Amino acid sequence: MKKNLNHPAPEQNPRIWRSLRERENDPEFLKHLQTEFPRGADVYEDSGLSKRDFMKLMGASIALAGVGLAGCRRPESYLVPFTKGVEFAIPGKFLYYATSMPARYGAVPLIATTSDGRPTKLEGNPLHPFSNGGTDSFAQAEILNLYDPHRSKQITEKGKASDAAAFDTFIQGIANGNGDGLAILAEPKNSPTRDRLRAVLEARFPKLIWAEYDPLAPAATAEANEASFGPNIRLVPDFKRADIVLAIGSDFLNPIETGIGFAQGFAARRNPDQGGAPMNRLYAVENHYTVTGGMADHRLRCRASELGEFTRQLALVLAAQINDTNLASVAKAFPESKAAINADWVKECAADLAANAGRSIVLAGPLTSAPLQTLVNAINSALGNIGTTLKAVKTDSRDAASIEDLAVAINKGGVTNLFLLGVNPAQNAPANLDFASLLAKVPNTVHLGLFEDETAKACRWHVPAAHFLESWGDVRTFDGTYTSVQPMILPLWNGVSELEILNKLTGSPSPVGPALVRASFNKVSKDSSDEAWNAFLRDGFLPNSSFAPTQVSLNASSAAALAKKAQPAKADALELVFLQSSSVDDGRYANNSWLLETPDFVTKLTWDNAVLVSPATAKKLGIKANNFNILGDIAEKLDNEVDYDLVADIVEISDGKKTIEAAAIVAPGHADDSLSIALGFGRKGVSALMDGVGFDAYPLRTSDAMFALSGVTLKVTNRDYPLAQTQEHKSMEGRDLVREGTLERYEKDHAFAQSMGMDSHIPPNISLYTHPTLTSKEQWGMTVDLNTCTGCNACVVACQAENNVPVVGKDQVRKNRDMAWIRLDRYFAGEADDPEMLSQAIMCQHCENAPCETVCPVNATVHSEDGLNLMAYNRCIGTRYCANNCPWKVRRFNYFDYNQRPIDQLYWGPLAKKGMADSLKMSKNPNVTVRMRGVMEKCTFCIQRIEESKISRLVEAGASPSSETPIAPFKVACQQACPNDSLVFGDIANPKSTVSHLRKDPRGYVMFKYLNTTPRVTYLARIKNPNPKMPGADHVGMANGTGHHGAGHGEGHDSHGEAHDSHNAQPPQGDTHAPAGH
Amino acid sequence: MANFFPKWTNWLPLKLVICVGAVVTAIAGGLTYYFTPKYTRVGYEPTQPVPFSHVIHVQQLGMDCRYCHSFVEVASHSNVPTTQTCMACHTQIKANSPKLAAVRESWKTGQPVNWVRIHKVPDYTYFNHAVHVNRGVSCYSCHGAINEMKVVYQHEPQSMSWCLDCHRAPENHLRPPSEIYNMAWKPPTDTTQREIGLKFKEEWEVNPPVTCGGCHR
Repeated sequence: MKKNLNHPAPEQNPRIWRSLRERENDPEFLKHLQTEFPRGADVYEDSGLSKRDFMKLMGASIALAGVGLAGCRRPESYLVPFTKGVEFAIPGKFLYYATSMPARYGAVPLIATTSDGRPTKLEGNPLHPFSNGGTDSFAQAEILNLYDPHRSKQITEKGKASDAAAFDTFIQGIANGNGDGLAILAEPKNSPTRDRLRAVLEARFPKLIWAEYDPLAPAATAEANEASFGPNIRLVPDFKRADIVLAIGSDFLNPIETGIGFAQGFAARRNPDQGGAPMNRLYAVENHYTVTGGMADHRLRCRASELGEFTRQLALVLAAQINDTNLASVAKAFPESKAAINADWVKECAADLAANAGRSIVLAGPLTSAPLQTLVNAINSALGNIGTTLKAVKTDSRDAASIEDLAVAINKGGVTNLFLLGVNPAQNAPANLDFASLLAKVPNTVHLGLFEDETAKACRWHVPAAHFLESWGDVRTFDGTYTSVQPMILPLWNGVSELEILNKLTGSPSPVGPALVRASFNKVSKDSSDEAWNAFLRDGFLPNSSFAPTQVSLNASSAAALAKKAQPAKADALELVFLQSSSVDDGRYANNSWLLETPDFVTKLTWDNAVLVSPATAKKLGIKANNFNILGDIAEKLDNEVDYDLVADIVEISDGKKTIEAAAIVAPGHADDSLSIALGFGRKGVSALMDGVGFDAYPLRTSDAMFALSGVTLKVTNRDYPLAQTQEHKSMEGRDLVREGTLERYEKDHAFAQSMGMDSHIPPNISLYTHPTLTSKEQWGMTVDLNTCTGCNACVVACQAENNVPVVGKDQVRKNRDMAWIRLDRYFAGEADDPEMLSQAIMCQHCENAPCETVCPVNATVHSEDGLNLMAYNRCIGTRYCANNCPWKVRRFNYFDYNQRPIDQLYWGPLAKKGMADSLKMSKNPNVTVRMRGVMEKCTFCIQRIEESKISRLVEAGASPSSETPIAPFKVACQQACPNDSLVFGDIANPKSTVSHLRKDPRGYVMFKYLNTTPRVTYLARIKNPNPKMPGADHVGMANGTGHHGAGHGEGHDSHGEAHDSHNAQPPQGDTHAPAGH
Repeated sequence: MANFFPKWTNWLPLKLVICVGAVVTAIAGGLTYYFTPKYTRVGYEPTQPVPFSHVIHVQQLGMDCRYCHSFVEVASHSNVPTTQTCMACHTQIKANSPKLAAVRESWKTGQPVNWVRIHKVPDYTYFNHAVHVNRGVSCYSCHGAINEMKVVYQHEPQSMSWCLDCHRAPENHLRPPSEIYNMAWKPPTDTTQREIGLKFKEEWEVNPPVTCGGCHR
């Protein structure tokens, strides 16, 4: 009997969807999906190049090649040794140093990989007590920032080149003066050395104004904690002990918001099989979808300005339930506002919190108002969480003037010498201060920065700053652990560090090496010996140096006094919420192309930001985005030519005085009557990459509306703006690629995920092709735990840094030519207004029966004996058959020489500038080939690390049987970067390895099992832990439906034979993806 | 009778001869270029900035390879000695030799000596010295009798097929670990290289990779 096994036909109305257009099941969109590279195929037609022209050109090229035969000789190359041997340096071998990246919440502890003296990769420091060894995407991208050829290289005075000697004379003049009118504006940072130098300066210049500013700093948290518990109190969460977590406007699971280490312990408690403790439950209340919202068991859409009202209602219900008068007094002080909050949601959430008092955590976002955070502190205090799940510590941070205080001083004429250390207030200060014109009022302004940015242009002096990988420093992590910042390389362009400038101001001679930091270390550490110092540098931190825990209790009266100051939400007013950008943070990574091309967590938008608006509000306001089933309108706009690129409407948002423009996209799950926009984009004339990228929202951000601006108006213009999203291409077509269920279902049937969709009735598969011989002792494989993967992008950027993955630019991303080897697919499930969000990391699955291998005409992609699907670049001739035959669409083709040609000149052919900036060459991983035009590439499972490990074993074995030497443990780049250990790589042939353990987990499933490709990547289904009493609980964890067949398949197939017949009756949509083997 | 052949055909034989000649020359030229050792640069012997002689240092003075190529046993790259290494001896020996002017200059200025590279695998090929020398492959197998080279030249083609010849049959090159750096080693008379090689191959479980990923990453 002919076996005819086909993909299930897509549902008429899929439950899981990636874009609104897919959800609407638009027939044109489905047609669009059928093409592999929707825009790629028509390039030659576009160019008007006929086959005949092509042959002519080819003939000419061949002739030229013949003439140039002598030019094929290998050029002479040189071996250049050191003149003097360098300590520890072995040419061709990596050296690892501990360091850290100072960040908004302390620091990201890092291990820097240096290769021949160049840092080429940053990884998390697993030894550090306040890190689980992961990193965030920003830390991964710092390598590119370090080597960015656009970094400033020249000291300038009034825009003209100056030199270090002139600047030294200037700063010496100030250091020798009386310090009148001296002010310093720096970023908030918990650095003992900086604090020490500040104290020296303050002693020397008593009138010094020390101000700190960061547009996304959690200034309100400090204020709220002071009012609630007293000065310098910080709450460090312990998620290991938390059964229930409620996040209010907080994206705490995202390391770029809260810092690495903050959410550690959460992932471990997410495991449904952990011994001795129940799986935790996460509630999220937020206005736009965050990764935390995506992980939440229950998510409430709530306008940012109504978060206070939500918290107030929650506090009142809780106070009544647990009879807490302190909480009641603070909650009653909080002004009421009219808002339609789902009372059932509040009631049941409060009941759950009350039932888990002392084992819960309530978190408020860093930008939420101080009164709201005070109320949250009161709730935590009433629940007995302080001291149990939230450890109170006493910090050593010192008060600093705010940027508003500094502005007042400047306006009074009291500032004559202003030092701006690593800040960019001309771009990101609250708009009401008009900081650029304030700078003009100060006679001597000095800007220290990595780039010649807006502030540099407005200042008298600009001094290139040293990158943190170029300078000595120290910092405390969020919990207070004293952490080192070590230079990995001499300043590439003579940058100086903030500490060196401060030291110069004190009038002291320039420090030699780490002298400044060593002096602080001697103070902080009990043991100031050289051994202790060396251990500090080796480990990257000082053990047991975190802030001392302290007993705190709620000061109800001062908390109530602060709570009283809350601004009631304006009813029915449209609000604009300012977000931290996943790509540029507050604008500081504006020139980082790795980050710009990494899709946003939720919108999957690259190279731009956009105003996010809920589907209902979009309808109300008349925002027409073509991802919202209005193809007709788009067709009309574009003269009946349907363009499947995302073309968004440009809208004007105004607060009555100022107006900004931005493209608007419809964001499922967004709160109604609320708009969100990421900060930091739309910088002009500053950055080579950033011109014309995104929209600037800072003009509307003022001192009293740093989080949300209420009462804005929105006007839709008749202009369009092209956006580059990576989500719309590629569809699931109802195949249960991503699987989830509830804890209840899991407990009934641990292996429920293995029988979803087609997987329940696959007849025994046989392959026409020979199975590769897997003779090696090690067999590599990977597991991805969907339960703990938040979709935070750390792995995506880590892979880019490790594997020399090129950047292709917005235009190419719009043609679906993005090169990321690992991508995070984001799915929505359920209703467009309030869906569930799921995230799934997809990389090459290293199928044992790999469909790509069978179609390669030149054997460029073959199998290795340890189970890797190999890609030999030098064999590849670029037919792209393999990409066509890959069911996962993980293969990436170099349409252009992305490494050698500027991304704005890709179509210039040989006329484009060729070559890579010298500094960028230094950033490449020397162990990975830099691919050229015309070759296919894809995830290699970090084969360079595998081979390195195998070779080390053989070197160690020497003249003895190699099998007796164990292979040294190593991690692949994405696994190393993952803050939640969701990705596990290892030897699946070793029954003791973590990965082989996880592969046997009942939650484990492989995608497209019925294709019999036997992938080496196993996914662990996501388990949701809904509270059955909550409203909407029956929709949680139902992305694949409830029945054992799954929604993607339809119910009621009793026998296998029938099932197949029914499939045959329906011509399948996804037939083209099936490997030839079937 | 009209001319059966038009006039232009008069030149046809000559044209044909020229064309065919050109094609044959091109093919012959291509073959000579790409299919002879010249293409793989066997015998490539560039002039080095310092006329360093391995004959003097290894053959006459009996220095070990690892005195200068000190990291060959631990790193993928077999390093060329630093100026410091040269100067360790040459501050005393031949301290004023004009042949060593470039080394002294480098020592004085701190600018390295630019040795011309002879053995080079393509950028997409990752050769690892450490694993070869630790698993019984001598320097000799890839570099020839360096100890007899006054001026170093490329002895082996170092092409992919040449690599694979050994990866498929390592027994032809495996030696006792003590003889890796002995350029003059010959198998003892009572046995053959193949016998010794097979013995080590089995004992040490030598199984060189022949899949792409072994060298191409």
